[in-house]
Amino acid sequence: MIEVDKLKTYANKLMFDMSNEEYLVLQKEFDTILKHMDIIDNLEGIDFVEPMTFPFDIDIDLIDDDTIESLSVEEAFRNAKSTRNNRLQVPKVVS
Amino acid sequence: MSMLETHITYDEAVSRAKKYQDRYNSFVTIIDDYQNENSGILKGIPYALKDNLSTKGIITTASSNMLKDYIPSFDATVYEKLKASGAMLVGKTVLDELAMGGTGTTGHTGIVKNPWDEKRMIGGSSSGSASAVALGIVPFAIGSDTGDSIRKPASYAGVVGFKPTYGRVSRYGLFAFASSLDHVGCLTRNVLDSAIVIDTIKGHDKHDLTSLLDDDKSYRDLIKNDINGKKGFYLKEIIESIDSDEILDCFNKNLKSLKDLGVDISEVSIDKNLLRAIYPAYITISSAEATSNNSNLTGLLFGPREEQPSFDKIMMHQRTIGFSNLIKRRFVLGSYVLQKENQEKLFLNAQRIRRMVVNKINELFKQYDFYILPATSSIAPLFDDEIDRLSDKYLIAENHLVIGNFGGYPSITIPNGFVNKMPIGINITSRQKEDEVALSIAYHLEQTMNYKDQIAGDERV
Repeated sequence: MIEVDKLKTYANKLMFDMSNEEYLVLQKEFDTILKHMDIIDNLEGIDFVEPMTFPFDIDIDLIDDDTIESLSVEEAFRNAKSTRNNRLQVPKVVS
Repeated sequence: MSMLETHITYDEAVSRAKKYQDRYNSFVTIIDDYQNENSGILKGIPYALKDNLSTKGIITTASSNMLKDYIPSFDATVYEKLKASGAMLVGKTVLDELAMGGTGTTGHTGIVKNPWDEKRMIGGSSSGSASAVALGIVPFAIGSDTGDSIRKPASYAGVVGFKPTYGRVSRYGLFAFASSLDHVGCLTRNVLDSAIVIDTIKGHDKHDLTSLLDDDKSYRDLIKNDINGKKGFYLKEIIESIDSDEILDCFNKNLKSLKDLGVDISEVSIDKNLLRAIYPAYITISSAEATSNNSNLTGLLFGPREEQPSFDKIMMHQRTIGFSNLIKRRFVLGSYVLQKENQEKLFLNAQRIRRMVVNKINELFKQYDFYILPATSSIAPLFDDEIDRLSDKYLIAENHLVIGNFGGYPSITIPNGFVNKMPIGINITSRQKEDEVALSIAYHLEQTMNYKDQIAGDERV
Protein backbone atom coordinates (compact mmCIF):
# COMPACT_ATOMS: atom_id res chain seq x y z
CA MET A 1 0.00 0.00 0.00
CA ILE A 2 1.30 3.45 -0.91
CA GLU A 3 2.20 5.61 2.08
CA VAL A 4 0.10 8.67 2.89
CA ASP A 5 3.29 10.75 3.25
CA LYS A 6 4.15 10.05 -0.36
CA LEU A 7 0.68 11.07 -1.52
CA LYS A 8 1.00 14.26 0.52
CA THR A 9 4.34 14.99 -1.17
CA TYR A 10 2.80 14.56 -4.63
CA ALA A 11 -0.12 16.82 -3.70
CA ASN A 12 2.14 19.49 -2.22
CA LYS A 13 4.30 19.50 -5.34
CA LEU A 14 1.14 20.55 -7.18
CA MET A 15 0.52 23.29 -4.62
CA PHE A 16 -2.49 21.94 -2.75
CA ASP A 17 -3.22 19.86 0.30
CA MET A 18 -6.00 17.55 1.42
CA SER A 19 -7.50 16.51 4.74
CA ASN A 20 -6.28 13.33 6.43
CA GLU A 21 -9.60 11.64 5.58
CA GLU A 22 -9.13 12.52 1.89
CA TYR A 23 -5.62 11.07 1.90
CA LEU A 24 -6.99 7.83 3.32
CA VAL A 25 -9.65 7.70 0.58
CA LEU A 26 -6.92 8.29 -2.00
CA GLN A 27 -4.68 5.67 -0.42
CA LYS A 28 -7.49 3.13 -0.82
CA GLU A 29 -8.09 4.23 -4.42
CA PHE A 30 -4.39 3.81 -5.13
CA ASP A 31 -4.73 0.13 -4.31
CA THR A 32 -6.91 -0.25 -7.40
CA ILE A 33 -4.90 2.27 -9.42
CA LEU A 34 -1.67 0.35 -8.86
CA LYS A 35 -3.39 -2.87 -9.96
CA HIS A 36 -4.51 -0.99 -13.10
CA MET A 37 -0.90 0.05 -13.65
CA ASP A 38 0.18 -3.58 -13.37
CA ILE A 39 -2.19 -4.45 -16.24
CA ILE A 40 -0.33 -1.92 -18.39
CA ASP A 41 3.10 -3.05 -17.26
CA ASN A 42 2.45 -6.74 -17.88
CA LEU A 43 1.27 -6.42 -21.46
CA GLU A 44 3.38 -8.52 -23.80
CA GLY A 45 5.48 -6.68 -26.36
CA ILE A 46 4.97 -3.24 -24.84
CA ASP A 47 8.70 -2.48 -24.66
CA PHE A 48 9.01 -2.41 -28.44
CA VAL A 49 6.27 0.16 -29.05
CA GLU A 50 6.82 3.88 -29.61
CA PRO A 51 4.73 5.99 -27.18
CA MET A 52 1.81 7.75 -28.87
CA THR A 53 1.16 11.38 -28.01
CA PHE A 54 -1.38 12.39 -30.65
CA PRO A 55 -4.24 10.56 -32.45
CA PHE A 56 -2.67 10.81 -35.91
CA ASP A 57 -0.06 12.71 -37.88
CA ILE A 58 -1.15 16.12 -39.06
CA ASP A 59 0.47 18.77 -41.19
CA ILE A 60 0.81 21.92 -39.19
CA ASP A 61 1.05 25.17 -41.09
CA LEU A 62 2.69 27.76 -38.93
CA ILE A 63 0.73 30.96 -38.63
CA ASP A 64 2.11 33.92 -40.56
CA ASP A 65 3.47 36.60 -38.31
CA ASP A 66 1.11 39.55 -38.26
CA THR A 67 2.49 43.00 -37.62
CA ILE A 68 0.38 44.72 -35.02
CA GLU A 69 0.68 48.18 -33.59
CA SER A 70 1.71 48.30 -29.99
CA LEU A 71 2.62 51.04 -27.57
CA SER A 72 6.18 52.29 -27.48
CA VAL A 73 7.91 52.14 -24.11
CA GLU A 74 7.71 55.92 -23.85
CA GLU A 75 3.98 55.90 -24.56
CA ALA A 76 3.42 53.06 -22.12
CA PHE A 77 5.26 54.99 -19.44
CA ARG A 78 3.38 58.21 -20.14
CA ASN A 79 0.63 57.36 -17.67
CA ALA A 80 2.79 55.40 -15.27
CA LYS A 81 3.06 56.87 -11.83
CA SER A 82 6.29 55.03 -11.18
CA THR A 83 8.84 53.09 -13.25
CA ARG A 84 11.98 51.13 -12.44
CA ASN A 85 14.50 49.28 -14.65
CA ASN A 86 12.40 49.89 -17.78
CA ARG A 87 9.35 48.38 -16.12
CA LEU A 88 6.10 49.73 -14.74
CA GLN A 89 6.09 49.74 -10.98
CA VAL A 90 2.79 48.91 -9.29
CA PRO A 91 1.81 49.06 -5.63
CA LYS A 92 2.60 45.97 -3.60
CA VAL A 93 -0.66 44.01 -3.35
CA VAL A 94 0.47 41.30 -0.99
CA SER A 95 1.77 42.17 2.42
CA MET B 1 -37.94 16.23 -39.25
CA SER B 2 -34.89 18.39 -38.53
CA MET B 3 -34.68 21.34 -36.16
CA LEU B 4 -34.48 23.58 -39.25
CA GLU B 5 -38.10 22.74 -40.02
CA THR B 6 -39.55 22.95 -36.54
CA HIS B 7 -38.08 23.92 -33.19
CA ILE B 8 -38.93 25.39 -29.83
CA THR B 9 -38.65 29.21 -29.70
CA TYR B 10 -35.95 30.92 -27.66
CA ASP B 11 -38.52 32.30 -25.17
CA GLU B 12 -40.10 28.88 -24.73
CA ALA B 13 -36.65 27.34 -24.25
CA VAL B 14 -35.73 29.86 -21.55
CA SER B 15 -39.05 29.29 -19.83
CA ARG B 16 -38.56 25.50 -19.90
CA ALA B 17 -34.96 25.85 -18.69
CA LYS B 18 -36.14 27.84 -15.66
CA LYS B 19 -39.01 25.44 -15.00
CA TYR B 20 -36.69 22.43 -14.80
CA GLN B 21 -33.63 24.06 -13.21
CA ASP B 22 -34.33 23.29 -9.55
CA ARG B 23 -35.30 19.72 -10.35
CA TYR B 24 -32.52 18.63 -12.73
CA ASN B 25 -29.81 21.36 -12.53
CA SER B 26 -28.90 21.44 -16.23
CA PHE B 27 -27.48 24.96 -16.19
CA VAL B 28 -24.82 26.97 -14.41
CA THR B 29 -26.17 30.11 -16.08
CA ILE B 30 -29.49 30.67 -17.86
CA ILE B 31 -29.46 33.64 -20.25
CA ASP B 32 -32.91 35.19 -20.67
CA ASP B 33 -31.96 38.33 -22.59
CA TYR B 34 -29.69 36.95 -25.32
CA GLN B 35 -29.51 38.99 -28.52
CA ASN B 36 -28.34 37.70 -31.90
CA GLU B 37 -29.32 39.52 -35.08
CA ASN B 38 -27.20 37.33 -37.39
CA SER B 39 -29.04 35.51 -40.17
CA GLY B 40 -27.46 32.11 -40.67
CA ILE B 41 -28.65 28.54 -41.03
CA LEU B 42 -29.50 28.22 -37.32
CA LYS B 43 -31.25 31.61 -37.01
CA GLY B 44 -33.48 31.70 -33.97
CA ILE B 45 -32.72 28.12 -32.87
CA PRO B 46 -32.08 27.90 -29.12
CA TYR B 47 -29.11 25.90 -27.87
CA ALA B 48 -26.94 25.31 -24.81
CA LEU B 49 -23.17 25.42 -24.44
CA LYS B 50 -21.10 23.41 -21.99
CA ASP B 51 -19.62 25.74 -19.40
CA ASN B 52 -16.03 24.90 -20.31
CA LEU B 53 -16.28 26.85 -23.58
CA SER B 54 -15.19 30.45 -23.43
CA THR B 55 -17.91 33.10 -23.97
CA LYS B 56 -16.80 36.73 -23.94
CA GLY B 57 -18.65 38.66 -21.27
CA ILE B 58 -20.57 35.60 -20.06
CA ILE B 59 -19.43 33.88 -16.89
CA THR B 60 -17.67 30.58 -17.69
CA THR B 61 -16.89 28.41 -14.71
CA ALA B 62 -16.02 24.88 -15.91
CA SER B 63 -18.24 24.01 -12.92
CA SER B 64 -15.31 24.73 -10.62
CA ASN B 65 -15.08 26.97 -7.59
CA MET B 66 -11.67 27.99 -8.92
CA LEU B 67 -13.42 29.77 -11.80
CA LYS B 68 -16.77 30.60 -10.23
CA ASP B 69 -16.52 34.31 -11.08
CA TYR B 70 -14.45 34.09 -14.28
CA ILE B 71 -15.67 36.19 -17.20
CA PRO B 72 -13.65 35.45 -20.37
CA SER B 73 -12.31 38.20 -22.61
CA PHE B 74 -12.65 36.15 -25.80
CA ASP B 75 -15.01 33.71 -27.54
CA ALA B 76 -14.33 30.05 -28.27
CA THR B 77 -14.34 29.46 -32.03
CA VAL B 78 -17.31 27.10 -31.74
CA TYR B 79 -19.30 29.85 -30.00
CA GLU B 80 -18.26 32.42 -32.62
CA LYS B 81 -19.49 30.11 -35.38
CA LEU B 82 -22.79 29.52 -33.62
CA LYS B 83 -23.24 33.26 -33.15
CA ALA B 84 -22.60 33.76 -36.87
CA SER B 85 -25.20 31.08 -37.67
CA GLY B 86 -27.90 33.05 -35.82
CA ALA B 87 -28.37 30.48 -33.04
CA MET B 88 -29.66 31.69 -29.67
CA LEU B 89 -27.75 30.79 -26.50
CA VAL B 90 -30.12 29.73 -23.72
CA GLY B 91 -27.42 28.95 -21.18
CA LYS B 92 -24.15 27.44 -20.08
CA THR B 93 -24.49 23.85 -18.89
CA VAL B 94 -23.20 22.07 -15.82
CA LEU B 95 -20.30 19.62 -16.19
CA ASP B 96 -18.23 17.47 -13.92
CA GLU B 97 -15.66 19.87 -12.52
CA LEU B 98 -13.13 20.81 -15.24
CA ALA B 99 -14.70 18.03 -17.39
CA MET B 100 -12.93 15.41 -15.28
CA GLY B 101 -15.46 12.76 -14.31
CA GLY B 102 -18.36 10.82 -15.67
CA THR B 103 -21.10 11.12 -13.11
CA GLY B 104 -22.50 14.65 -13.25
CA THR B 105 -22.04 14.89 -9.48
CA THR B 106 -18.95 17.08 -9.05
CA GLY B 107 -19.97 20.45 -10.49
CA HIS B 108 -19.72 23.37 -8.06
CA THR B 109 -23.44 24.14 -8.41
CA GLY B 110 -24.65 20.64 -7.54
CA ILE B 111 -25.50 17.33 -9.15
CA VAL B 112 -27.34 16.85 -12.46
CA LYS B 113 -30.19 14.35 -12.31
CA ASN B 114 -31.33 12.04 -15.07
CA PRO B 115 -34.62 13.29 -16.59
CA TRP B 116 -35.83 9.69 -17.07
CA ASP B 117 -35.37 8.87 -13.36
CA GLU B 118 -34.22 11.45 -10.83
CA LYS B 119 -32.67 8.75 -8.64
CA ARG B 120 -30.15 8.02 -11.37
CA MET B 121 -27.14 9.91 -12.66
CA ILE B 122 -27.00 11.19 -16.23
CA GLY B 123 -23.27 10.58 -16.61
CA GLY B 124 -20.74 13.13 -17.65
CA SER B 125 -18.93 15.19 -18.08
CA SER B 126 -21.36 16.85 -20.55
CA SER B 127 -24.11 16.26 -18.00
CA GLY B 128 -26.13 19.48 -18.31
CA SER B 129 -25.88 19.43 -22.11
CA ALA B 130 -27.34 15.91 -22.21
CA SER B 131 -30.02 16.82 -19.72
CA ALA B 132 -31.04 20.04 -21.54
CA VAL B 133 -31.48 18.13 -24.81
CA ALA B 134 -33.27 15.17 -23.20
CA LEU B 135 -35.72 17.52 -21.46
CA GLY B 136 -36.56 19.22 -24.75
CA ILE B 137 -35.25 22.57 -23.50
CA VAL B 138 -33.05 22.90 -26.59
CA PRO B 139 -32.80 20.88 -29.81
CA PHE B 140 -29.02 20.81 -29.53
CA ALA B 141 -26.24 21.41 -27.05
CA ILE B 142 -22.48 21.57 -27.40
CA GLY B 143 -20.32 19.26 -25.30
CA SER B 144 -16.74 18.10 -25.05
CA ASP B 145 -15.50 14.50 -25.02
CA THR B 146 -12.11 13.38 -23.65
CA GLY B 147 -12.96 9.75 -22.80
CA ASP B 148 -16.68 9.37 -23.49
CA SER B 149 -18.07 12.63 -22.08
CA ILE B 150 -20.58 13.22 -24.88
CA ARG B 151 -21.34 9.65 -25.93
CA LYS B 152 -21.97 8.04 -22.54
CA PRO B 153 -24.34 10.70 -21.17
CA ALA B 154 -26.13 10.55 -24.53
CA SER B 155 -26.73 6.85 -23.91
CA TYR B 156 -27.98 7.43 -20.36
CA ALA B 157 -30.22 10.31 -21.50
CA GLY B 158 -31.75 8.71 -24.61
CA VAL B 159 -30.32 11.29 -27.01
CA VAL B 160 -27.76 11.39 -29.83
CA GLY B 161 -24.16 12.27 -28.94
CA PHE B 162 -21.58 12.83 -31.67
CA LYS B 163 -17.84 13.36 -31.31
CA PRO B 164 -16.35 14.13 -34.74
CA THR B 165 -12.78 13.34 -35.79
CA TYR B 166 -10.11 14.92 -33.58
CA GLY B 167 -9.53 18.45 -34.87
CA ARG B 168 -12.66 18.56 -37.03
CA VAL B 169 -14.03 21.18 -34.63
CA SER B 170 -11.63 23.76 -33.22
CA ARG B 171 -10.67 23.46 -29.56
CA TYR B 172 -9.81 27.15 -29.31
CA GLY B 173 -11.56 28.47 -26.23
CA LEU B 174 -12.21 25.01 -24.77
CA PHE B 175 -10.74 24.71 -21.29
CA ALA B 176 -8.22 21.95 -21.86
CA PHE B 177 -8.55 18.75 -19.84
CA ALA B 178 -6.24 16.37 -21.77
CA SER B 179 -5.28 18.11 -25.00
CA SER B 180 -4.32 15.00 -26.96
CA LEU B 181 -7.74 13.46 -26.25
CA ASP B 182 -10.10 16.48 -26.09
CA HIS B 183 -12.83 16.82 -28.74
CA VAL B 184 -15.71 19.27 -29.18
CA GLY B 185 -19.00 17.75 -30.36
CA CYS B 186 -22.76 17.92 -29.93
CA LEU B 187 -25.84 16.35 -28.39
CA THR B 188 -29.14 16.34 -30.32
CA ARG B 189 -32.36 14.33 -30.52
CA ASN B 190 -31.77 12.93 -34.00
CA VAL B 191 -28.79 12.20 -36.24
CA LEU B 192 -29.70 14.73 -38.93
CA ASP B 193 -29.54 17.54 -36.36
CA SER B 194 -26.06 16.35 -35.31
CA ALA B 195 -24.94 16.56 -38.94
CA ILE B 196 -26.39 20.08 -39.21
CA VAL B 197 -24.64 21.25 -36.02
CA ILE B 198 -21.25 19.83 -37.01
CA ASP B 199 -21.59 21.29 -40.53
CA THR B 200 -21.99 24.66 -38.79
CA ILE B 201 -19.12 24.46 -36.29
CA LYS B 202 -16.44 22.44 -38.14
CA GLY B 203 -13.52 23.82 -40.07
CA HIS B 204 -9.90 24.84 -39.84
CA ASP B 205 -9.08 27.49 -37.29
CA LYS B 206 -5.88 29.48 -37.29
CA HIS B 207 -6.18 29.70 -33.50
CA ASP B 208 -5.97 25.90 -33.16
CA LEU B 209 -3.03 24.44 -35.04
CA THR B 210 -4.34 20.92 -34.47
CA SER B 211 -7.62 21.69 -36.23
CA LEU B 212 -8.06 19.84 -39.52
CA LEU B 213 -8.17 21.49 -42.90
CA ASP B 214 -11.72 22.05 -44.17
CA ASP B 215 -13.16 18.89 -45.74
CA ASP B 216 -15.75 20.86 -47.76
CA LYS B 217 -18.36 18.19 -47.16
CA SER B 218 -22.01 18.63 -46.20
CA TYR B 219 -22.67 15.88 -43.66
CA ARG B 220 -26.33 16.87 -43.78
CA ASP B 221 -26.45 15.71 -47.41
CA LEU B 222 -24.01 12.81 -47.15
CA ILE B 223 -25.72 10.97 -44.29
CA LYS B 224 -28.58 9.96 -46.58
CA ASN B 225 -26.24 8.09 -48.95
CA ASP B 226 -27.01 4.41 -49.42
CA ILE B 227 -25.12 2.22 -46.93
CA ASN B 228 -25.66 -1.01 -48.87
CA GLY B 229 -22.30 -2.79 -49.16
CA LYS B 230 -20.66 -1.11 -46.17
CA LYS B 231 -18.66 -3.41 -43.89
CA GLY B 232 -18.69 -3.25 -40.12
CA PHE B 233 -17.41 -5.27 -37.18
CA TYR B 234 -17.93 -5.67 -33.46
CA LEU B 235 -15.44 -6.85 -30.87
CA LYS B 236 -16.31 -10.27 -29.44
CA GLU B 237 -14.54 -9.69 -26.10
CA ILE B 238 -16.50 -6.50 -25.41
CA ILE B 239 -19.83 -8.17 -26.15
CA GLU B 240 -18.84 -11.11 -23.89
CA SER B 241 -18.14 -8.68 -21.04
CA ILE B 242 -21.71 -7.34 -21.06
CA ASP B 243 -24.01 -9.23 -18.71
CA SER B 244 -27.32 -7.56 -19.59
CA ASP B 245 -29.48 -9.74 -21.83
CA GLU B 246 -31.72 -6.78 -22.66
CA ILE B 247 -28.79 -4.67 -23.87
CA LEU B 248 -27.50 -7.58 -25.93
CA ASP B 249 -30.99 -8.16 -27.40
CA CYS B 250 -31.19 -4.54 -28.57
CA PHE B 251 -27.66 -4.83 -30.00
CA ASN B 252 -28.54 -7.98 -31.93
CA LYS B 253 -31.70 -6.34 -33.30
CA ASN B 254 -29.51 -3.48 -34.59
CA LEU B 255 -27.17 -5.95 -36.28
CA LYS B 256 -30.11 -7.60 -38.01
CA SER B 257 -31.49 -4.23 -39.16
CA LEU B 258 -28.13 -3.28 -40.63
CA LYS B 259 -27.86 -6.64 -42.39
CA ASP B 260 -31.35 -6.02 -43.83
CA LEU B 261 -29.98 -2.73 -45.20
CA GLY B 262 -27.20 -4.59 -47.00
CA VAL B 263 -24.47 -3.94 -44.44
CA ASP B 264 -22.03 -6.78 -43.78
CA ILE B 265 -21.24 -7.23 -40.07
CA SER B 266 -18.45 -9.49 -38.76
CA GLU B 267 -17.38 -10.60 -35.31
CA VAL B 268 -13.74 -9.77 -34.65
CA SER B 269 -11.57 -10.95 -31.76
CA ILE B 270 -8.65 -9.03 -30.23
CA ASP B 271 -6.37 -9.56 -27.24
CA LYS B 272 -8.44 -9.26 -24.06
CA ASN B 273 -5.42 -8.05 -22.10
CA LEU B 274 -5.08 -5.13 -24.52
CA LEU B 275 -8.74 -4.24 -23.97
CA ARG B 276 -8.25 -4.47 -20.19
CA ALA B 277 -5.37 -1.99 -20.45
CA ILE B 278 -7.42 0.72 -22.24
CA TYR B 279 -8.96 2.32 -19.16
CA PRO B 280 -5.73 2.27 -17.07
CA ALA B 281 -3.89 3.85 -20.01
CA TYR B 282 -6.62 6.46 -20.39
CA ILE B 283 -6.66 7.43 -16.72
CA THR B 284 -2.86 7.67 -16.70
CA ILE B 285 -2.57 9.84 -19.82
CA SER B 286 -5.55 12.07 -19.03
CA SER B 287 -4.58 12.66 -15.38
CA ALA B 288 -1.02 13.53 -16.39
CA GLU B 289 -2.17 15.97 -19.10
CA ALA B 290 -4.78 17.47 -16.76
CA THR B 291 -2.19 18.07 -14.06
CA SER B 292 -0.20 20.13 -16.50
CA ASN B 293 -3.14 21.89 -18.21
CA ASN B 294 -4.67 23.06 -14.96
CA SER B 295 -1.46 24.36 -13.45
CA ASN B 296 -2.59 27.82 -14.60
CA LEU B 297 -5.34 27.75 -11.98
CA THR B 298 -3.11 29.29 -9.38
CA GLY B 299 -5.60 31.45 -7.55
CA LEU B 300 -3.57 34.45 -8.73
CA LEU B 301 -4.83 35.06 -12.26
CA PHE B 302 -8.38 33.73 -12.11
CA GLY B 303 -11.04 33.20 -9.54
CA PRO B 304 -11.31 34.18 -5.92
CA ARG B 305 -8.09 35.26 -4.19
CA GLU B 306 -7.47 35.69 -0.52
CA GLU B 307 -4.58 37.66 0.89
CA GLN B 308 -1.77 35.50 2.24
CA PRO B 309 1.80 36.32 3.28
CA SER B 310 3.33 35.08 -0.02
CA PHE B 311 2.51 33.97 -3.56
CA ASP B 312 3.23 30.37 -2.59
CA LYS B 313 0.78 30.53 0.25
CA ILE B 314 -1.91 32.11 -1.97
CA MET B 315 -1.55 29.26 -4.45
CA MET B 316 -1.49 26.55 -1.82
CA HIS B 317 -4.52 27.99 -0.06
CA GLN B 318 -6.65 28.67 -3.15
CA ARG B 319 -5.93 25.34 -4.82
CA THR B 320 -6.64 23.53 -1.55
CA ILE B 321 -10.05 25.13 -1.03
CA GLY B 322 -10.89 25.65 -4.72
CA PHE B 323 -10.69 22.13 -6.18
CA SER B 324 -13.09 19.38 -5.19
CA ASN B 325 -11.76 16.16 -3.66
CA LEU B 326 -12.16 14.17 -6.87
CA ILE B 327 -10.11 16.67 -8.88
CA LYS B 328 -7.37 16.71 -6.28
CA ARG B 329 -7.20 12.92 -6.29
CA ARG B 330 -6.90 12.89 -10.08
CA PHE B 331 -4.15 15.52 -9.89
CA VAL B 332 -2.21 13.44 -7.36
CA LEU B 333 -2.43 10.50 -9.74
CA GLY B 334 -1.15 12.75 -12.55
CA SER B 335 1.68 13.90 -10.33
CA TYR B 336 2.50 10.29 -9.38
CA VAL B 337 2.77 9.00 -12.96
CA LEU B 338 4.88 12.00 -13.97
CA GLN B 339 7.47 11.50 -11.23
CA LYS B 340 10.87 10.80 -12.76
CA GLU B 341 10.98 7.30 -11.29
CA ASN B 342 7.50 6.43 -12.67
CA GLN B 343 7.51 8.05 -16.10
CA GLU B 344 8.92 5.14 -18.07
CA LYS B 345 6.94 2.40 -16.33
CA LEU B 346 3.64 4.24 -16.09
CA PHE B 347 3.23 7.32 -18.27
CA LEU B 348 5.21 6.20 -21.33
CA ASN B 349 3.80 2.68 -21.12
CA ALA B 350 0.29 4.14 -21.11
CA GLN B 351 1.17 6.02 -24.29
CA ARG B 352 2.50 2.75 -25.73
CA ILE B 353 -0.83 1.04 -24.94
CA ARG B 354 -2.54 3.88 -26.77
CA ARG B 355 -0.49 3.17 -29.88
CA MET B 356 -1.09 -0.59 -29.66
CA VAL B 357 -4.85 -0.05 -29.48
CA VAL B 358 -4.91 2.49 -32.31
CA ASN B 359 -2.65 0.33 -34.51
CA LYS B 360 -4.99 -2.61 -34.02
CA ILE B 361 -8.13 -0.62 -34.82
CA ASN B 362 -6.47 1.06 -37.83
CA GLU B 363 -5.50 -2.39 -39.10
CA LEU B 364 -9.14 -3.49 -38.83
CA PHE B 365 -10.26 -0.30 -40.56
CA LYS B 366 -8.29 -1.39 -43.63
CA GLN B 367 -10.91 -4.11 -43.99
CA TYR B 368 -13.98 -2.51 -42.41
CA ASP B 369 -15.72 0.87 -42.65
CA PHE B 370 -16.91 1.08 -39.04
CA TYR B 371 -17.44 -0.80 -35.79
CA ILE B 372 -20.58 -1.01 -33.69
CA LEU B 373 -20.98 -1.76 -29.96
CA PRO B 374 -23.40 -1.07 -27.10
CA ALA B 375 -22.38 2.34 -25.73
CA THR B 376 -22.60 1.15 -22.14
CA SER B 377 -22.98 -2.14 -20.31
CA SER B 378 -25.89 -0.95 -18.17
CA ILE B 379 -28.56 1.70 -17.82
CA ALA B 380 -27.69 4.93 -15.98
CA PRO B 381 -26.48 3.94 -12.49
CA LEU B 382 -28.15 4.99 -9.26
CA PHE B 383 -26.18 7.66 -7.43
CA ASP B 384 -24.91 5.18 -4.86
CA ASP B 385 -24.24 2.25 -7.22
CA GLU B 386 -20.79 0.68 -6.95
CA ILE B 387 -18.93 -1.32 -9.60
CA ASP B 388 -15.85 -3.54 -9.23
CA ARG B 389 -13.18 -1.48 -10.97
CA LEU B 390 -11.03 -4.50 -11.65
CA SER B 391 -13.80 -6.48 -13.38
CA ASP B 392 -14.01 -7.01 -17.14
CA LYS B 393 -17.42 -5.36 -17.02
CA TYR B 394 -15.76 -2.14 -15.87
CA LEU B 395 -12.44 -2.34 -17.69
CA ILE B 396 -13.74 -3.65 -21.00
CA ALA B 397 -17.50 -3.16 -21.35
CA GLU B 398 -17.87 0.20 -19.55
CA ASN B 399 -14.89 2.05 -20.95
CA HIS B 400 -14.37 1.00 -24.58
CA LEU B 401 -15.59 4.39 -25.87
CA VAL B 402 -12.13 5.71 -24.96
CA ILE B 403 -10.84 3.99 -28.12
CA GLY B 404 -12.54 6.81 -30.07
CA ASN B 405 -10.39 9.37 -28.24
CA PHE B 406 -7.15 7.39 -28.47
CA GLY B 407 -7.45 7.32 -32.26
CA GLY B 408 -9.42 10.54 -32.75
CA TYR B 409 -12.11 8.55 -34.59
CA PRO B 410 -15.55 10.01 -35.36
CA SER B 411 -17.93 8.26 -32.98
CA ILE B 412 -21.66 8.58 -32.40
CA THR B 413 -24.11 7.18 -29.86
CA ILE B 414 -27.82 6.94 -30.68
CA PRO B 415 -30.71 5.64 -28.56
CA ASN B 416 -31.54 2.01 -29.32
CA GLY B 417 -34.02 0.91 -26.69
CA PHE B 418 -35.18 0.91 -23.08
CA VAL B 419 -34.30 -1.36 -20.19
CA ASN B 420 -36.39 -0.99 -17.02
CA LYS B 421 -37.85 2.23 -18.50
CA MET B 422 -34.37 3.72 -18.87
CA PRO B 423 -32.85 4.54 -22.27
CA ILE B 424 -29.79 2.77 -23.64
CA GLY B 425 -27.59 3.59 -26.63
CA ILE B 426 -25.65 2.01 -29.45
CA ASN B 427 -22.29 3.40 -30.59
CA ILE B 428 -20.88 3.56 -34.11
CA THR B 429 -17.28 4.53 -34.81
CA SER B 430 -15.61 4.97 -38.21
CA ARG B 431 -12.21 5.80 -39.69
CA GLN B 432 -10.44 9.07 -38.91
CA LYS B 433 -11.71 11.92 -41.13
CA GLU B 434 -14.64 9.85 -42.43
CA ASP B 435 -17.23 11.44 -40.16
CA GLU B 436 -19.95 11.00 -42.78
CA VAL B 437 -19.62 7.19 -42.54
CA ALA B 438 -20.40 7.02 -38.79
CA LEU B 439 -23.19 9.57 -39.32
CA SER B 440 -24.76 7.73 -42.28
CA ILE B 441 -24.74 4.32 -40.56
CA ALA B 442 -26.31 5.96 -37.50
CA TYR B 443 -28.85 7.84 -39.62
CA HIS B 444 -30.08 4.72 -41.43
CA LEU B 445 -30.10 2.64 -38.25
CA GLU B 446 -32.11 5.36 -36.50
CA GLN B 447 -34.81 5.03 -39.18
CA THR B 448 -35.31 1.36 -38.22
CA MET B 449 -36.19 2.26 -34.59
CA ASN B 450 -38.68 4.45 -32.73
CA TYR B 451 -36.38 6.43 -30.43
CA LYS B 452 -35.77 9.51 -32.57
CA ASP B 453 -36.77 12.90 -31.13
CA GLN B 454 -37.81 11.45 -27.78
CA ILE B 455 -38.19 13.82 -24.83
CA ALA B 456 -38.10 13.07 -21.11
CA GLY B 457 -39.66 15.08 -18.29
CA ASP B 458 -43.17 16.59 -18.26
CA GLU B 459 -43.27 16.95 -22.05
CA ARG B 460 -42.31 13.28 -22.46
CA VAL B 461 -42.93 11.91 -25.97
